[in-house]
Amino acid sequence: MSALAAVPFVLYLLVIAAMPLVVARFWDHNRNKLAVALAAALPVAIYLVAAAPGGAELLADTAREYAAFIALLGALFVITAGIYLRGELAGTPVVNTCVLAIGAVLASAIGTTGASALLIRPLLRANAQRRHRRHVVVFFIFLVANGGGLLTPLGDPPLFLGFLRGVPFGWTLGLVLPWAMVSAALLAVFAITDRWLYRRELPGLRRGGGELHGPRRGGREPLGLEGGWNLVWLAGVVATVLVLGALSPRWPAARYLQIAALVGFAALSIATTPRRIHEANRFSWAPILEVAAVFVGIFVTMVPALVVLSDRRASLGITRPQQFFWASGALSSVLDNAPTYLTFASLATGVVNASGAQLSVHDLGALAAHPAGRDLLRAVSCGSVLMGAMTYIGNGPNFMVKAIAEQHHVRMPSFFGYMVWSIAILAPVLAAVALVVF
Amino acid sequence: MEILICLEGSASTHRAVDVAIDLARTLPAGLVGLAIVDAPDIVAGAATSIGGASYRRDRDAALLADAHHHARGWIDDFLVRSRAAGVAVRALEIMGRPADMILTEVPRHDLTVLGRDVNFRYETQDHDRYTRDRVLRRAGRPLIVVPDRIVPRGSAVLLAYDGSSASIRALRSFADTRLARGREVHVATVDDDGARAYEIASGGCALLAELGVRAVPENVVSSESTAAALLSRGAKIGAGMIGLGGYIPSPLSRLVWGSVTHQVIERATVPVFLHY
Repeated sequence: MSALAAVPFVLYLLVIAAMPLVVARFWDHNRNKLAVALAAALPVAIYLVAAAPGGAELLADTAREYAAFIALLGALFVITAGIYLRGELAGTPVVNTCVLAIGAVLASAIGTTGASALLIRPLLRANAQRRHRRHVVVFFIFLVANGGGLLTPLGDPPLFLGFLRGVPFGWTLGLVLPWAMVSAALLAVFAITDRWLYRRELPGLRRGGGELHGPRRGGREPLGLEGGWNLVWLAGVVATVLVLGALSPRWPAARYLQIAALVGFAALSIATTPRRIHEANRFSWAPILEVAAVFVGIFVTMVPALVVLSDRRASLGITRPQQFFWASGALSSVLDNAPTYLTFASLATGVVNASGAQLSVHDLGALAAHPAGRDLLRAVSCGSVLMGAMTYIGNGPNFMVKAIAEQHHVRMPSFFGYMVWSIAILAPVLAAVALVVF
Repeated sequence: MEILICLEGSASTHRAVDVAIDLARTLPAGLVGLAIVDAPDIVAGAATSIGGASYRRDRDAALLADAHHHARGWIDDFLVRSRAAGVAVRALEIMGRPADMILTEVPRHDLTVLGRDVNFRYETQDHDRYTRDRVLRRAGRPLIVVPDRIVPRGSAVLLAYDGSSASIRALRSFADTRLARGREVHVATVDDDGARAYEIASGGCALLAELGVRAVPENVVSSESTAAALLSRGAKIGAGMIGLGGYIPSPLSRLVWGSVTHQVIERATVPVFLHY
């Protein structure tokens, strides 16, 4: 396939990165995003059907993959929006560190978006009286909105894309070492930083009547979870993905059943969740509709791009796991990490094929099982997920967390200011991971 | 005569309102409070991740509503305090970039008062030196910068004068604003040579005399920096206001050369009169 076939994918990624800066008001509307996505996707779709061998089949597979992807993201988005953590936590270093640790685990179970949406507001409420809160949010983005999602395909969209392309559900559990290293290092740095800042703030907090250790006069609202039915629907989602995902290679209808089941669980969540919980979580369909619109363009334009990348792996000179880790990570920092993951997974397939294997870019399960491919895919998975935290635009929940924090009057760093944090704190941790793991 | 007072939430602006009310009663003058909603910076386009646009919209709407609420609160407080002092008063709430909005309003008024630590971009930034410095550099009209803590001194005024066009302009502007009324005015020149300093200061006094203001020359010979020497002399003579003609250089030139004006503004514990 001609290298030109990859141009729409590259252009489209650049467009969706630039649009919010250049024509923010236009890009605010999801119908405009869909129009841009279709404008990018249609010529590629026509080219695939009319000119590429097996293109129509590829396009059909892509459509199914897209539907499954959006169904899972949508189901997790809707169900986690039905869970509300009420009550007041104390904004002490111990509590903050524990919340981040819980989030780092929870993200793999309910997705980074779900865990972020569930925990960020209670954490901000807990720290409302603190003078220094910015670091809490920045570490939250590192740990909960990104790194925590490394352990399962439910955790982060790139890993679910891998799962849809055949990577076994349990395969990502093998990434526990980098997950543990990153989580432990970041939690340790956070705990020390927060403790130091807290001690500096303590006299002021006492003067201002901020009682962070004990119950307030009149009593602190006890902690509690509302929307418990959604935990059941969440378990249903996990079971659906696990069981039907495992059946789908032998029973193709399972793929469609999986999509239907995910939509069903989302519908059950909507039906059983009281409106006040959605209001408390400020639930809106807009974010998931935006994802659905933008990803139409990504899924279609990346079909030829992935084939081109796999065919031309030699010209890129990326062959070793460390290179895959840093290259996929660098791109994930500035583009969405889901297409980045597939891009480099395809490149890894090409690298493995160069040694005589016959792997398909559409079957990443084979890549995960291949002795050399496994290491490359581990590097791509870690790079895509962990380095999504390097900027506000690397992963979907990053900007959500930033915006919610700013609504709570936390002065968040600018785009480049945030990168100073991530380069100073996250990059050294990731460098250590790269040295030890790859 | 109308005095423009820039309203926001810092302690120095709270103090600046007190100073403006005092001036309005003394001169006499009317007061115009200006509150700014920094809408362009709040809703400025930002790089957003996929799925982040609606969160950005919610955040923008919340911050804008918050900014309007704050502006309304500061205006109400200003109106109550001014009316309680018996001063003629009105207020403006404007949406726009703070420096641009202030610079649009400054020429329409005889004198502008602003707090030293003003932050009109409080919804998006911790500090906003840019707005204050830009207003000082571009105003072309008399300004008074007020610190958050004022050490009570006498009613005297110390005007720094070095014979430069900037200091001549400041002296003229000071006379025009009638701030000398009821005050003992001192014109100070800092120089290594005391006799020369006295001569230059006397020239400043002569200029003020032509404008109908009586002043006393002060020659300052000191091993301290110019800014510190002026502030020390001001404290010694009980000056409740320091006056300077000068400008705020760019951050780079300030870093390299320093700025007497900037140092005086940052370290003064009395209002600072400026005209660039």
